[in-house]
Amino acid sequence: MTPASRFASRARALAEAVPAILLAMMFVSFIIQVFMRYVVGSPVGWTVEVCVMAWLWILLWGQSVSAREEDEIRFDILYGAVSPQWRRRFRLTFSVLLVGIYAWSLPALWDFVTFMKIQKTTYLDIRFNWVYSIAILFSVASILRYLRIFWASARGSGEPKDGTDTVTRADFNA
Amino acid sequence: MSWEFYLTVAAIILTALIGLPIGHAMLASSVFYLLLQGQDMSIAFEQMLTGLYGSYVLLAIPLFIFAADLMNVGSLSDRLLDFCKALVGRFRGGLGHVNVVSSLIFSGMSGSAIADAVGMGRIIINLMTKDGKYPGAYAGAITAASAIIGPIIPPSIPMVLFALVSDTSIGFLFLAGVAPGLILGVLLMATNAWQARVHNYPVEEPVPLRELPQITLRAIPALLMPVILLVGIYGGITTPTEAAALAALYAFVVSTVFYRSVSLREAYDTVRLSAKATASVGFLIAGALAFNYVVTIEQVPNVIRAALSGVELSRIGFLLLVNAMLLVLGCLLEANAILLVIVPIFLPTAVALGVDPVHFGVIVVVNTMIGLATPPYGLLLFVVTSITRAPIRDTIRHLLPFLALMIAGLLIITLLPDIVLWLPRLYGYTG
Repeated sequence: MTPASRFASRARALAEAVPAILLAMMFVSFIIQVFMRYVVGSPVGWTVEVCVMAWLWILLWGQSVSAREEDEIRFDILYGAVSPQWRRRFRLTFSVLLVGIYAWSLPALWDFVTFMKIQKTTYLDIRFNWVYSIAILFSVASILRYLRIFWASARGSGEPKDGTDTVTRADFNA
Repeated sequence: MSWEFYLTVAAIILTALIGLPIGHAMLASSVFYLLLQGQDMSIAFEQMLTGLYGSYVLLAIPLFIFAADLMNVGSLSDRLLDFCKALVGRFRGGLGHVNVVSSLIFSGMSGSAIADAVGMGRIIINLMTKDGKYPGAYAGAITAASAIIGPIIPPSIPMVLFALVSDTSIGFLFLAGVAPGLILGVLLMATNAWQARVHNYPVEEPVPLRELPQITLRAIPALLMPVILLVGIYGGITTPTEAAALAALYAFVVSTVFYRSVSLREAYDTVRLSAKATASVGFLIAGALAFNYVVTIEQVPNVIRAALSGVELSRIGFLLLVNAMLLVLGCLLEANAILLVIVPIFLPTAVALGVDPVHFGVIVVVNTMIGLATPPYGLLLFVVTSITRAPIRDTIRHLLPFLALMIAGLLIITLLPDIVLWLPRLYGYTG
């Protein structure tokens, strides 16, 4: 393993640890909440705030910073059926579009998030600009990620693994 | 509806078709709409953020995912399977029946069809195809079909989503799913019995009845889970979200402390994978929240309602129409996308026509779950074929009789609301 690739795999493990820790926090907060309400008899409110914040951050962090191309939920009727050549063209197209629209809207998003410092959360008194700052991180990380997809596709590499596994891993809910 | 709206819808469809992840397609297209309209582009993000921050009920989703993952890692699923084998394995096509019954019970814990298929489904597919007893395609088909029932029987993540968009009580929705889920289960077992006769599938060595008590005892921790959930929710003890947390705690304690079948490393991996699955599903909801703003601004529900009111539909006519449309859409769209985006469009009309919202919710959920198993875009179908490695064409051929009966079941549920509503009414639902 080269130092660079070791660094990359460390960074990835770290990036994936963030949503995992947040989920664990959410789980523990819920248990505390149930315990305080039904066993101790004095309900607490901060647990709900921890949970919704964790939920927000898990989603947006998990879909930008630590997302893997092959885990995404995509609609692969057409994408999965065409030749690699066409898939490359598709990736070039959608990455340009996505980078364009997110970059264009970034200043407006920045204004909204920084403006939200006027409000604080009810229990923990955290300013909303901090709570919502994940949206900026999400937007910037997505722009960088899709620039990389564009770059890799332009050079003709970086094809995400395709086939059924691409779609299946992603959605565990329905 | 403005031309900007049509352009936005076209943008979502086109970018999704060329492979942009669906959540990004919805979010980016909603930003694009605001750009076209000359509005502040941050509104789409604002809608997404405040929507996610304000929707407490959605927190049940990560917790149910976590509980199901824990159960699959721990040995709860295996023990449950042994129990089902002892119970219904003795009939012709026995393992097929085991498949259905285990889905019925497991779904009482996970609320997710996909989790059911990947967890229990994988184990039972291996059992069925071992020694070539059943063709892989048949094992896959019945697994996909029985996983459909999962989210109809409570708890259910799709029903949480429906409750979110319709302001219906999650508790009553869950109760309303019980009878339809059981009816569909019976229909599946009947189909399995019939198919087993046609293809002459084997009879298993019956498990001696005297072993049944011990096997049941071993499975009790797993069997208790649905009981805890239901008592928690309907005893008025916990909210459905808190019940989900308790279910996860229970699965965690049983598999780590009680059975000691989960190492620390595995526990961390489970949390990590659950968080990942949460992010994929949640981001779809995030995109839908942004797009819902566009749908609301454009007054799409009103336009559709006006169009429908011109046709003079009867209540039954409307429901049949919605069923047909959802079945077709379900072949093409992702189930959550349908629940979050399409349902709000039909709901006002349904209510205006006197359709009970809880009844409507069950119809929609059954419908979208059937959609999960129908080609060309059926996640369940992809999941089971990735496990069985059987050609998807063969799996579909074996799936057809099951689907036909499921659709018959859907018709029964649609035409006879009392079947759906008697249980919620028993608990004080006035609809």
